[in-house]
Amino acid sequence: MNPQALMDGLITGAMIGLGAIGVTLTYSILRFANFAHGEFLSWGAYFALAVASALGAMSSALLAPIGPFSFGWALPIAAVVAVVLTGGLALLVDALLFGRLRDRKSTVIIMVMASFGAALTLRSLLEFIATSKPAYYTQALQIALPLGGGLRATPDQLLSLAVSAVLVVAVHQLLTRTAIGRSMRAVSENPQLAGVVGIEVRHVIRVVWLLGAALACVAGISAGLLVQIRPQMGLDLLLPLFAAAILGGIGSVPGAMLAGLIVGLAEAFAVQLIGAEWRAAIAFAILVLVLLLRPQGLFGRPE
Amino acid sequence: MMASLDQPVALSTRGLVAGYERDLPIVRGVDFAVRTGELVVVLGPNGAGKSTFVKAIAGLVPIHSGAASLGANDITTVPAHQKIRHGLAFVPQTENIFATLSINDNLLLAANILPKEKRSRRVGDLYAMFPDLAARPSLRAGQLSGGQRQMLAVARALIVEPSVLILDEPSAGLSPKIVAEVFAKLKAINATGVTIILVEQNVKAALAIADRAVILVEGVVRHEGPAATLADDPVVAELYLGVRQKAPAA
Amino acid sequence: MSVELVGYACFFLTMALTYAIMCLGLNVQWGQTGLFNVGVAGFVAIGAYVSALLTTPDAANRLGGFDLPMPLGWLGGALAAGFVSFLVGALTIRLRADYLAIATFGVAVTVQLIALNAEPVTGGPFGIGFIPRPFASLAGDPLLFNLLNLAVLGVVVILLYLALERLVRSPWGRVLRAIREDEQAARALGKNATKFRLQAFAIGGGIMGLAGAAQAHFIGFIAPDNYMPMLTFQVWAMLIVGGSGNNRGAILGAVLVWAIWAGSAGLVADLFPAGQQARAASLQIVMIGVALCAILLLRPRGILGEERVVSRHLGKFVRTRPIAASESSKHANS
Repeated sequence: MNPQALMDGLITGAMIGLGAIGVTLTYSILRFANFAHGEFLSWGAYFALAVASALGAMSSALLAPIGPFSFGWALPIAAVVAVVLTGGLALLVDALLFGRLRDRKSTVIIMVMASFGAALTLRSLLEFIATSKPAYYTQALQIALPLGGGLRATPDQLLSLAVSAVLVVAVHQLLTRTAIGRSMRAVSENPQLAGVVGIEVRHVIRVVWLLGAALACVAGISAGLLVQIRPQMGLDLLLPLFAAAILGGIGSVPGAMLAGLIVGLAEAFAVQLIGAEWRAAIAFAILVLVLLLRPQGLFGRPE
Repeated sequence: MMASLDQPVALSTRGLVAGYERDLPIVRGVDFAVRTGELVVVLGPNGAGKSTFVKAIAGLVPIHSGAASLGANDITTVPAHQKIRHGLAFVPQTENIFATLSINDNLLLAANILPKEKRSRRVGDLYAMFPDLAARPSLRAGQLSGGQRQMLAVARALIVEPSVLILDEPSAGLSPKIVAEVFAKLKAINATGVTIILVEQNVKAALAIADRAVILVEGVVRHEGPAATLADDPVVAELYLGVRQKAPAA
Repeated sequence: MSVELVGYACFFLTMALTYAIMCLGLNVQWGQTGLFNVGVAGFVAIGAYVSALLTTPDAANRLGGFDLPMPLGWLGGALAAGFVSFLVGALTIRLRADYLAIATFGVAVTVQLIALNAEPVTGGPFGIGFIPRPFASLAGDPLLFNLLNLAVLGVVVILLYLALERLVRSPWGRVLRAIREDEQAARALGKNATKFRLQAFAIGGGIMGLAGAAQAHFIGFIAPDNYMPMLTFQVWAMLIVGGSGNNRGAILGAVLVWAIWAGSAGLVADLFPAGQQARAASLQIVMIGVALCAILLLRPRGILGEERVVSRHLGKFVRTRPIAASESSKHANS
């Protein structure tokens, strides 16, 4: 067994975990499985690409790689802008579609169907605008550095891991120690009581969309940086994201990250045994196991 | 505390018609008023619309026609999450606390609408009023007993110093001993000047602490009077049990 | 010229009818039983591949050579899809709606993955070709060929429609409707809800497999790319537009949405130069996605609405939408 699978699994897993945190938050507060969540990843990656390219065109100094990394300042700056844009996209989709269906007290099934339709629309729009050709943030090649124990990782990969770790801690602190975090947990448990207590649920919902989309955007940029940027990238990650969110327990942020790592590691190790082409089936297998054996996941509340 | 008749009206409804569905009103025109400092209990047989009535005032059930006012302000169309900002606190019958949050978080959450400087002071005030809750503030509220949950729900409602506190069957599911504790607490809170409206099935315990009682039957007020005398009033038995004792009252 | 037009119309209608069969299958699962299957493409694929494998001649590097007659292929496809539906259902049917959606989505992804990777069995990314077509001997006369194919499919759809309508009105169908409307009451009457749901799921899946087989034999060639989530989306769009819960709506929706799909594809393709056809296709899907979301917002019951068979007898007491659990507890006390 190649120990590098451990590193690969952690890196992919951290990306999946980051996306899964967004899924678990929106799922627990909005109460439906949003099949369009993957598209926030894709759009986030493309927003960053567009802004980074524009910045690079304005000043090539911004493209010069920072330190050991493969990208220049254009990317971090673009990432900040992309987070805002992706958040805006999520709010737009909610205002046009999900919010209206919610106001009409639509059933979960209508919401999921609508999210399926929104996903297809967003993905195809991206394909139309950017074509299906893979794109990259940078052409600079990276050398994997030895970390000891037979493991290697590129500086970009280590940065991605670090960013994921920081974000998961930050989101957890947000949920447990801030007023908005308490409000989010309250709405997740009982939206009607939250209203009685004085929480403006619509405001909380907007915050959740922003946060979920922001996390998806960062995950998308990560995936775009470490692998490639394609319109299909969100769809490819959708099943692993759902699997991780459900395995972690809907509503649990640490659970989502932990589960993401588990899914990533499982994929990396299983691929060694049965081949890379079966990667997508691993997440499905994990999902089925969780739903059959422990549907509330690791840290979720039993129904 | 007996409120004298020259106290201002704290909450009133005029011809309130409400129900979950437009063509099926459960509350069918209720005129109701409670004066500042009163403790009024709303009684009535099952299906009378007591719960629906207070939920409508709280904004959780649609009001079809009529009006509800808090003091001089019309709150008929005020959305549910704004009621508390007007000074109206509501404690639902079931699921009235956040079980997945700690006691402290439950209280902090409620304190959120207060200005920053007042928040921790009010939470501290409430811990003083409810020492049981102060003992283990980081305990998950879901692990509290029925009586303690009720106390937390009431504490949560009091954080914003409401002018009117409405409770929907706080005695439900509690043992008589705990009911007595909860009701004693409510009486004490009322003594500090908080107007209380209580919906109750436990007629005896409720009348023991109330100033006045209103009896709802089939969505309308059929009788009201001072709590002290209502317990022996034959009309009450008639309304509840359908037993004719004399010529029926109008 | 008009012969070509008739030929094209037949081709179009025949394709539409294969989709109609898929919709009828989905209607059994969703319209009748309330099961949210987001993996339609997977069951269609199973029917297509099994039928193709059973009927195609020997091929160099994959399983084959059974060379069975077409009707057996179609039957085999339907049974295989029905069987897999039964297995999937046995594992997932007790899940709540959104988990069932995710699970069935995963099934479709996995089926497509198997079709793509299990080359010795499925031909891998190259798919399976030379699938025998009905009335192949008449291929020389395109008009007759197309008309006969249309006739075959037309007969299949009509028979299926009649059979399903009988099923809806049968005691079995009534139990299913009762379970969908008020499960607790149905259980109180001693009906094992899970067993009935599983049967409905398997029947629906089998019908989808039949559609896949029919489509495979009509086109003559299948590949894993034919069975992407897009197909599931198409079938759902057809059912929603036509009116879910309604067999007539299923057929109408299939023909209508297929017409819009094919029509808009042609329209959009004309707007773009030859090298940009992929982008044209993407734009077309954007338009259709927006249209589906619009329908969900404006008229979620579709054109023919939900058919109420049993409720005619119950009058006004039947709800059009189940009450959410939180609402029903609100109603409990006065």
